Amino acid sequence: MTAVDTGLAAEYAAIYAYGAAAVHLDGDPRALAEELEAEHRSRRDALLDYYDANGLEAPSAEAGYDIEPITDAEGAQRLLLAVEERVTATWRAGLAPGPLGEREICLDRYTESAVSLARWRLAVGVAAADPWPGRPQ
Amino acid sequence: MFTTRRVLLVGAVALAAAGCTRETATIIIADPDLSDALHTARTLAHNAEALGYSDIAQDHLTHAATLERLLLPNVVAEEAVATFADAAALAEAEAEASIDAVYACLGTDTDFAVVFGEIAASRAAHAAVLA
Repeated sequence: MTAVDTGLAAEYAAIYAYGAAAVHLDGDPRALAEELEAEHRSRRDALLDYYDANGLEAPSAEAGYDIEPITDAEGAQRLLLAVEERVTATWRAGLAPGPLGEREICLDRYTESAVSLARWRLAVGVAAADPWPGRPQ
Repeated sequence: MFTTRRVLLVGAVALAAAGCTRETATIIIADPDLSDALHTARTLAHNAEALGYSDIAQDHLTHAATLERLLLPNVVAEEAVATFADAAALAEAEAEASIDAVYACLGTDTDFAVVFGEIAASRAAHAAVLA
């Protein structure tokens, strides 16, 4: 499995999580969640285009993902924070020296993910600044 | 804006026994992208602090400390830094600095690629929250 495969799998999981969580949100967090979900969908579509253009077989999305039951807005915010952190960490893993084309994809998606993570942190009252986005603690 | 990319810093010409022996000199050449990234980190830290964004300034100081460690023993001296008038100018500088770090990341096949990538992402996030 390549770093791009892993990143695409993370985007699939994020889209699933947003679908489950966003309905529990209202107001600005709901609007931002919908915006970020759209960004994940755009990244997924761009990645699928990359696979098509290069004659590669893209991994498929799972039918479902194991997420904690969401009962309220706080749980939804917490889940989406964890999702953005996981997506950012996944793309970061593709930065290490390797095939340049794949690394460029991972870097672009990683940078976008770090922006999404910072915006979501800000929306839910968590400090957005982070010198090393997605770096394992 | 901040880059002086092709300037090579040649330093630490160490002669054993103060040149009194026939030992071969060791020349260590600093990575210019690391040096540029350090200068930019210092500039952004200074301006973020001056404009009241201490948390963002702290990120840049963390980057600077890491870059200084990677550059040892060729750490570039502190220089006068550009001053940005407001948050919008700082956001623009963050975005430009992120692109510089992207090029540095893609331009190296060393382990520094990960650090440059992380710095690019951090700066892009700063630009987004400042905008």
